[in-house]
Amino acid sequence: MATVSLKNIKKVYGNGLVAIHDLNLDIADGELIVLVGPSGCGKSTSLRMVAGLETISEGELSIDGVRVNDREPAQRDIAMVFQNYALYPHMTVAGNMGYGLKNQGMAKAEIRQKVEAAARMLEIEPLLSRKPGQLSGGQRQRVAMGRAIVRNPKVFLFDEPLSNLDAKLRVQMRIEIKRLQQEFGTTAIYVTHDQVEAMTLADRLVVMNDGRVEQVGPPLALYERPATRFVASFLGSPGMNFLSVTHDQGRLYLPDGRSLALPEPIEVAPGQALTLGVRPEHLEICAEADADLVLEVEIVEPLGADTLVYGRLPGHDDLMVVKHQGKHGEARGDRVPLRLDRERLHLFDADTRRRLPDGVPDGARPPNPGV
Amino acid sequence: MHDKAVFQHRLLPMVLIAPQLIVTLIFFIWPAGQAIYQSLFIEDAFGFSRDFVGLDNFRYLLTDPEYWASVRVTFMFSGLVALSAMALALLLAAMADRVIKGATGYKTLLIWPYAVAPVVAAVIWWLMFNPSIGIVAAFMELFGYRWNHYINGGEAMTVVVIASAWKQISYNFIFFLAGMQAIPRSLIEAAAIDGAGPVRRFWQIVFPLLSPVAFFLLVVNVVYAFFETFGVIHATTLGGPGNATRTLVYKVYEDGFVGLDMGSSAAQSVILMLLVIGLTVLQFKFIEKRVQY
Repeated sequence: MATVSLKNIKKVYGNGLVAIHDLNLDIADGELIVLVGPSGCGKSTSLRMVAGLETISEGELSIDGVRVNDREPAQRDIAMVFQNYALYPHMTVAGNMGYGLKNQGMAKAEIRQKVEAAARMLEIEPLLSRKPGQLSGGQRQRVAMGRAIVRNPKVFLFDEPLSNLDAKLRVQMRIEIKRLQQEFGTTAIYVTHDQVEAMTLADRLVVMNDGRVEQVGPPLALYERPATRFVASFLGSPGMNFLSVTHDQGRLYLPDGRSLALPEPIEVAPGQALTLGVRPEHLEICAEADADLVLEVEIVEPLGADTLVYGRLPGHDDLMVVKHQGKHGEARGDRVPLRLDRERLHLFDADTRRRLPDGVPDGARPPNPGV
Repeated sequence: MHDKAVFQHRLLPMVLIAPQLIVTLIFFIWPAGQAIYQSLFIEDAFGFSRDFVGLDNFRYLLTDPEYWASVRVTFMFSGLVALSAMALALLLAAMADRVIKGATGYKTLLIWPYAVAPVVAAVIWWLMFNPSIGIVAAFMELFGYRWNHYINGGEAMTVVVIASAWKQISYNFIFFLAGMQAIPRSLIEAAAIDGAGPVRRFWQIVFPLLSPVAFFLLVVNVVYAFFETFGVIHATTLGGPGNATRTLVYKVYEDGFVGLDMGSSAAQSVILMLLVIGLTVLQFKFIEKRVQY
């Protein structure tokens, strides 16, 4: 049970490299925050600073209102699950899980009782006397979780804990982690580069890029109203399509010369370069007469429930993708007329790559980026 | 065609292993056979006559208090060399593992002593400990201690142990450092989060994970101290004073080449051979068993 607050956190390495620029985040008690972003965006570094494995160059980190910048990892009352699980290979599962408690000087009987309780919860009781080398990847993952749970810490930290598992196990463990975290009501910070994992787990999502926070908010709010082009492209699978467009008198002019009327007026200088973002699921195959775009099909990926159609606008290089439900008969070389979902368009300034302000009242907006 | 191909396949492997086999036969197997053969005879000092005596040489050795004294010296010497060389190497490796800036430089420097021949190392140390001109002896005199390893057996042992261990530290250091660097960083971090301080992390996490390396090094160091330190002893104490540093290998040399008692010397070699075979078997057995993760 704890709040975590990061204020103006900065990380500068000895060689002058700035890994984190200015990180501000207030995490509520019991909240599951997911830090997500591509490799090298600083998400792991941020987590390691919270854990105390990395020094904080500037700013203030507090847990439960107490500044912990200078505390050793052990004194922060946190538990961490590592990507490679980091189980002690020479200790049994029980030894691994109880090591933290043993270091606290807890009585043996009590340690045993707590370890067994946690093992029961994770269904790893039969494994307690085995060594990590005798366990499968999924079992090791559970032991690593058990080691974190046993100590009943203020904050759980997860550093890409599922990335070494196969796809099926990953989904299973993802649900398990969510369940356990809700059961314990423990504040948690979870780092991943997998946007599906991020979307499904997070109470709030922190999208990071290049050492900076791009946007913070509930997953769906970020999906529906990405503040930057980066967030828009990072969340959602397959990623958002982007088209260079221009604007004049309430109409958007698409690269192929066609135009469409905007549902709401926007305030931009005529002729300013804009980027139109539209998600693959918000493109609809329609009759030729209603079409905003015509796509020349290159690749079709039938996924069963959905079909992904990849193609280009005639004369343009950028690959676009359309996702529609069920099976359709498109094939390579077909020309598919498409209609954009007017309510689900995203407009970005082509230079700043930020979302254009639009007519949605402030109250309905997700929290501002960077808060 | 077919026959020829088969013939080539049989000849080629033989040709390829022949050099190694020939070297082994001439320099290892043949002398070993000679030693076993000679250990069954008593020969006069000039080699004019020899009498077959069966296992008398062995029987005599095993009831000779001087031989047992040499056994004790050898075990004491080997134990001290192995322990001090390993303990210091472990300490240095643990420190080198923490260094980030200029790590390669430190490592290279720490490995250098291994390139020094044992005899040269021994002479350097012998000079430093020399009671009349040695810098260490002079230093100790400042504190009122009169160092003289020509008289004091314990001091002589100290000199040969230091000279022998000094060189072996480098070797152990490389293995320990490699072993430590093979331990995933996250294990140490997990232990830090689990509330283990640096000392506890070392003894409860790092050291147990190094135990296969440590065991391997123990065997290697004991073998080194047993068999490869002849030069060190020969260049410094000559087994003295009063046989205080006369190890089994040195006694083989003394009895054979100084005392010209070939039969006994050969018998001692055979016992050493058995010892080495035992150590090797032990090493392989344990290394297979002790890999616990």
